[in-house]
Amino acid sequence: MFDARTATRAATVFTALWLATPAPAQIDPVEIIDKVDRLLRGESSRALATMEVVTGNWERTLTMEAWSLGTDYFLVRLLRPKKEAGTATLKSENNIWNYLPKVDRTIKIPASMMGGSWMGSHFTNDDLVKQSRLAEDYDIDLSFDGRDASDVRVWDFKLTPKPDAAVVWGHVEYRVRQNDLMPVWAKFYDEAGSLARSMEFGGFREFDGRLLPSVIHMRPADEPDEHTTIRYEELDFDIDITERFFSLRNLKKHR
Amino acid sequence: MAATTSWIRVGWRNIGRNPRRTALTSGGLAVGYFAVVFMTGWTGGINEELIENATSLVGGQIEIHDGEYLPDRSLYDTIGGRDGVDVDALLAAVDSDPGVAASAPRVFAGGLVSSGESTSAVVLLGVDVARETRVSRFLKRLKDGRTPVQGASEFVLGAETARQLAVETGDEVVLVAPGADGSLANGLYTLAGVFETGLTELDNGLAVMPITDLQEFIVLPENRIHEIAVAALKPAEADATATRLEAMLVEFATGIDAAPWTELHPAVVDYVGLSESVHWIILAIVFTIAVFGVANTMLLATFERRREFAVMLALGAPPLAIAGAVVTEALAIGVVSLAAGALFTYPLMIWWHIAPPDLSWLYGSTTLAGVLITPSLRIAYDVSTWFSATAVLLLTTVLAALYPALRAAMISPADTLSGL
Repeated sequence: MFDARTATRAATVFTALWLATPAPAQIDPVEIIDKVDRLLRGESSRALATMEVVTGNWERTLTMEAWSLGTDYFLVRLLRPKKEAGTATLKSENNIWNYLPKVDRTIKIPASMMGGSWMGSHFTNDDLVKQSRLAEDYDIDLSFDGRDASDVRVWDFKLTPKPDAAVVWGHVEYRVRQNDLMPVWAKFYDEAGSLARSMEFGGFREFDGRLLPSVIHMRPADEPDEHTTIRYEELDFDIDITERFFSLRNLKKHR
Repeated sequence: MAATTSWIRVGWRNIGRNPRRTALTSGGLAVGYFAVVFMTGWTGGINEELIENATSLVGGQIEIHDGEYLPDRSLYDTIGGRDGVDVDALLAAVDSDPGVAASAPRVFAGGLVSSGESTSAVVLLGVDVARETRVSRFLKRLKDGRTPVQGASEFVLGAETARQLAVETGDEVVLVAPGADGSLANGLYTLAGVFETGLTELDNGLAVMPITDLQEFIVLPENRIHEIAVAALKPAEADATATRLEAMLVEFATGIDAAPWTELHPAVVDYVGLSESVHWIILAIVFTIAVFGVANTMLLATFERRREFAVMLALGAPPLAIAGAVVTEALAIGVVSLAAGALFTYPLMIWWHIAPPDLSWLYGSTTLAGVLITPSLRIAYDVSTWFSATAVLLLTTVLAALYPALRAAMISPADTLSGL
């Protein structure tokens, strides 16, 4: 998700294993990014969120409930709009299925459509599938250590894909607040070095005792007027859930 | 004048002196003539098929879009922009143009077809079936089943996609597409039929349904269409017709673009231009070889008769008349060759034009510049090549006779008659 995967990862801000270690004198970029990464993901989680999608042609807001287990399992079900309630997406390892309640059918998304939009948003199916750890796919270097425009101490990191990593981005820039390790933004650049999309984090608040961004704002660089915003309303961590929950059968369950 | 005529008669009669040699030389020329007419006719036939398939298999000879539509093919770039147009009035206006044979509206969308475990990404094409079959051919002869009926949740699919999904006519499948309102359109549809064009891009990845059904499915108003495909009465006049249409359609909406096939398929235009220039190369090669054959024959013929020419010269015949007789003889061979060549060339051309022989034993269907070419020996009537081949054949014989004629005219009577 941090290539395509950062987006997903951020989108699945579910569990945070928050290690509140005091900042060492000598900072380790890999360790910091790994912590942020784990913060935005989790062992298991349940979330209630709204997703607002604005394009040049239409705007819509979806309400959804989502569950995750590790990086391999993810289930999201639409609650609103009513017409589409029950529409659900299941990610199990590298596969994605969509359940369509209107026709009561489950369809597997073919590999050729992985780059396609997920539920009309600016996230792709790939964003859901590729949820590996940033530290595994990227070489991470500290590029800035100082204060941002609002006088908050931040670190900027530059993430360059490792030679054998299957990522779609040329490089990624990532800003993290120093005092609480909250992500501020991530910018994704294509192979040619042009900005492809940017993701901003905000609405920092405590969920289940952990400080997390509750708003993720995704903006494609080529369509400045378009964006997808995810707002988390509820977020629970380390819930009682097993792999059996992420079954095609459960995908179909109407709510 | 009478003298000139008699020299021509001498030349003409001389071809009967050695009938076997004349027959062999004329036979060679006749086959050469056939080769040129046949090769140009065949490449012309391939060109005709190329243009036809590029412009009537699915595409039209003219395609009308919103100026923004190509190359991105956005769902929202409909003719007339967001407001759409009065489609019926627009079609009526297009049909009223004297260069237009038929027109058909189209809507495109990207989607998925899913059956059981298999899902394929497809282009969903919405068509007015009655109008479409007057413009394009791919729905005319289905491999299986029939064309979809409006309002019955039916569609047809390319043969390769149907094979990959393991679906047959009558099966129910799920179609999914992003709607114009951002929703995820999905529905159950029955496969009414399967089409097969031989062109992979179409057989693999195209699903077709009635235009209003597709518009309803993807939540696109009925007055919004992406394309009008136009069949021109004469493909060669498509450019002029497109220009006329574009000027006329301004009154419906701004930014409408009418593109002729020459603009949509520049590779086809280039290919046809190239193969036409190859005609001249074939012509030149065949007749260059013929020049040497005829020259050889005429040299022999004049050498054999050098004593005869010497006597004629000694008796006061003008050297120019001798040369004229030799050239006439060669020309006579040309005329005989032409007659012989025409005797079997034209019946064959007419036969193959009417009933092209199947060449699938020789090669399979292939694509040229992205356009399907079927393995048949299709012959185009290329009348201008027939005339030029005739002229070049006669010119060849005259050219080939020039040197032998010169030799004959320059014979020294005294030396030759004394046996030197």
